[in-house]
Amino acid sequence: MHLRKETITIQERLGEYCRTGVELELPGVTPGRIHHYRRLISNVVNDTLHTAFPITVAALGGNQWELLVQDFFADGIPKTPQVWKLPLEFYQYHTGRETGKRIGKPFLDDLLYFEWMEIEIHTMPDRPFPDFVTEGDLFNDRLVFNPEHEIIQLSFPVHTHPVRKAIDLEGEHYALLYRMPESGHVQFLDLSALNIYIITRLQEEKVTLNEIKNEIARVAGIESGRYLDEALQKFLGDLMERKLIFGFIQN
Amino acid sequence: MEGKVGLGLRRDIAEEILDSRILTPDFLEFAPENWMGMGGAWKRVMDKAVDRFPITCHGLSLSLGSPEELDWQFIRELKSFLDENRVTIYSEHLSYTKSRNAHLYDLLPIPFRQDAIDHVVDRIRRVQDLLERPLAIENVSYYTPVAAEMTEVQFVNEIVERADCKLLLDVNNVYVNAFNHRYDAKEFIGALPLERVAYIHMAGHEQVEPDLIIDTHGQPIIDPVYELFEWTIQKMDPVPVLLERDFNFEDLEQIQGELTQIKGILNRHWEVTHASA
Repeated sequence: MHLRKETITIQERLGEYCRTGVELELPGVTPGRIHHYRRLISNVVNDTLHTAFPITVAALGGNQWELLVQDFFADGIPKTPQVWKLPLEFYQYHTGRETGKRIGKPFLDDLLYFEWMEIEIHTMPDRPFPDFVTEGDLFNDRLVFNPEHEIIQLSFPVHTHPVRKAIDLEGEHYALLYRMPESGHVQFLDLSALNIYIITRLQEEKVTLNEIKNEIARVAGIESGRYLDEALQKFLGDLMERKLIFGFIQN
Repeated sequence: MEGKVGLGLRRDIAEEILDSRILTPDFLEFAPENWMGMGGAWKRVMDKAVDRFPITCHGLSLSLGSPEELDWQFIRELKSFLDENRVTIYSEHLSYTKSRNAHLYDLLPIPFRQDAIDHVVDRIRRVQDLLERPLAIENVSYYTPVAAEMTEVQFVNEIVERADCKLLLDVNNVYVNAFNHRYDAKEFIGALPLERVAYIHMAGHEQVEPDLIIDTHGQPIIDPVYELFEWTIQKMDPVPVLLERDFNFEDLEQIQGELTQIKGILNRHWEVTHASA
């Protein structure tokens, strides 16, 4: 290390001022100029987070949102060199500190999570697309899913309801977010626990629908028969139309 | 690339540039931090840009001047990105963007001091070794010196010389600093090792107080900056020149006009030099 302790202290003091706004003595500065650095840095952080979390900003209102941003920037340690990933650290910071509970907004974690996941799915590195054919049998062929998706669990259905309504619907809610292959746009589906179970089984275990049909009936507490077949046909056909299922593995 | 005029690839104008409707730069510049590790639609835009244009990269987060250790994991990922995208020039700022391991996402002024020179020289050399390519270091705009023990030009020159790196000469930054700190812009440029300049940046700025200009990259270039640019390029060999524009994209014709004006100035001087050589 070539830097003198004094130089390090000066550099750190300027950094601290920019993050907290608490003025510290800095030698050799032009009066009235330092605050521009804090202003410019705050603009970058505010714009990045505001753009990433528009629903959360609206749900909290300006003042509460600004306090959350200030807390994060003064107290958190932004680690990512890529500013577009800062919203993830903001979400992790406030979830880790249970901010939502503390400020009487229990939906906060879910809302930040959902909004971040939209960014995450949109920008995540490309995942290899498996080979598939578009003609096949939903029940007897193995299905090929769009690999660019994630399933998230939420306590409040902030993905389907305005916050004022979601707050009364605490429970187990699931959303599946996925990237459309051509446009790259992010879509999401509101799914039941049973739907999630079916998708997970079909993907992870690489089985056909017929091989797990009885198991699905048992989990759902219904009889395996025509009614279930029709429901499964409708559900998976819909996923195919929405490009969450690409097609079938060629036998 | 020498004598070519480029533009920064920003998301707001990416489609326009790739379709070559109004904006027709010769090359594109990426901020690698804004594109690294990205897939989906933006990756496709980037791939298209790399296929069609020569690419330079201008880094934001290396933080050459900060006290903490360099982020070697990030630099390794950066090297892959530069290699994969056939990047011809990689530049960074002579500033620091990190304090106590917290990223600040803007450029803080390094104290113009001997120990800071020693520190930065060592870091530039290590980064160049890992990247296996020279780094072009940009003279940054600053709004106040902090604990300076020498002049800006002494600071820049010793770093560039001892680190044996290239210089990214930001002409607008020289103009901004000369205005903000009351020195002579031409004298400053005349004292730089112009043979080390690998790249030039041009940009607009905003005067926010009677005695203060902020380097915004959001406004058109003003005439005195064009004049300083024209004066400068007559003293050096041809290099690529980039127009930096980060926002205010409403008037694309005006931005194309700036590209054309820069090119016109280059052609007046650098083509003549080539013809007589």
